[in-house]
Amino acid sequence: MKMIGAAIDEIYSVLAQMVSSLFRHGLPLTDKIAARTALTNFVLHIHPVRVRRSWIRMSYTLCLGGLSFFLFIVLTVTGLYLMFYYVPATSHAYQDMRDLQFVVTFGGVIRNMHRWAAHAMVITVWLHMARVFLTGAYKKPREFNWAIGTFLLLITLLLSFSGYLLPWDQLSIWAVTVGTNMAKYAPIAGPYTRYLMLGGRAVGDATLLRFYVAHVVGLPLIGFLLMVVHFWRVRKDGFSGGL
Amino acid sequence: MVGLRRLAEDSREISRRSFFAILGWLAFLAASLAACVEAVRFGYPNATYEEPSLFKAGLASEYGVGSTTVLIDKRVVINRDPDGIYAFNLICTHLGCTPRYFTDVTSDLVAKGIGGLRDPLTGQSASPANPAVQGFKCPCHGSRYFRDSVNFYGPAPRPMDHIQVQKGRDGHLLLDRHSFVDLTTRLKV
Repeated sequence: MKMIGAAIDEIYSVLAQMVSSLFRHGLPLTDKIAARTALTNFVLHIHPVRVRRSWIRMSYTLCLGGLSFFLFIVLTVTGLYLMFYYVPATSHAYQDMRDLQFVVTFGGVIRNMHRWAAHAMVITVWLHMARVFLTGAYKKPREFNWAIGTFLLLITLLLSFSGYLLPWDQLSIWAVTVGTNMAKYAPIAGPYTRYLMLGGRAVGDATLLRFYVAHVVGLPLIGFLLMVVHFWRVRKDGFSGGL
Repeated sequence: MVGLRRLAEDSREISRRSFFAILGWLAFLAASLAACVEAVRFGYPNATYEEPSLFKAGLASEYGVGSTTVLIDKRVVINRDPDGIYAFNLICTHLGCTPRYFTDVTSDLVAKGIGGLRDPLTGQSASPANPAVQGFKCPCHGSRYFRDSVNFYGPAPRPMDHIQVQKGRDGHLLLDRHSFVDLTTRLKV
């Protein structure tokens, strides 16, 4: 009995140490401890220590920025799942997409989540921008963050465009033919830009691979880095609402 | 930076240290520039392994006078008229989709009362008396072309690109999709 008691004590002290290493200030029973908990916690530190109720009125932000970020996470996770079954080659792509719809268990759910979240993200990012514009939240001192936001909108649209080619159906191929031909109309750099985008003269294997790499690595990485700065600036510039 | 400032003040007073500082910055600049050029140039493939632009299209006698042949895999149209054979890329000059052949691309426009549907090259025109003219329609944005590639409706800015047609040593037609010729060029047969 004594030995069991000692073992329980030992386990308890190890657990207690684990908990205290995670939460260094005990239960946030007072405002002071709550503030310190938020300050010293990596996950919570993105929020200000003190937030006035009026600042986060839902009718002001409509949660559009947060929704956009949420959809980005949904897209990252579902996109990762899709990558297990999708090969970015013209000989495989269309069949793999059909397999995801009809052969892979829950493949249709994952693919549709990815597809609808992508559509939704374009809408929420656009509405977020409209909200920021209409409430004048882009004004000093938040001009810099507005500029980053415009780049994030661009990244969102480019992600949408690059993902459009991947199912490799008629709609994809001709949409990208049309899109890259638009780029061709740019003065001087136009034809070179098109060749760089396509990796050749027509939409083909090289194009599919390029768009795939941009879609799953390049653009999300740039988007993620911009988001880090975007959120950091929101935190530093403070909320614009609730005046 | 100190080196540069001193250089601006008096070039005779440049010290060994600032000289090497300037040299160092220049080397850094050159290396960065080279890296940028490299990064972009890397994206331009030297060999694309796409289908060659040159291909054979059988004997001229296989194409009857007045015929229009669509080689859909090549995206090329071969026409034979009384004055010879000519070919053009079946690529819409608006944004690059593939127009489709129809025996009638005008009568719906004539019925709407749209006039001036006349091919300046051949003089052929669609009118209420003769509404149906053959040609091509693009599925993407609705551009329309006469049989001889001349655009007459929709956003297409110019006729489709005519390409070189030659007769090879074996008598077969030899087409080059990347070498363009005039609208009026014909291969006499």
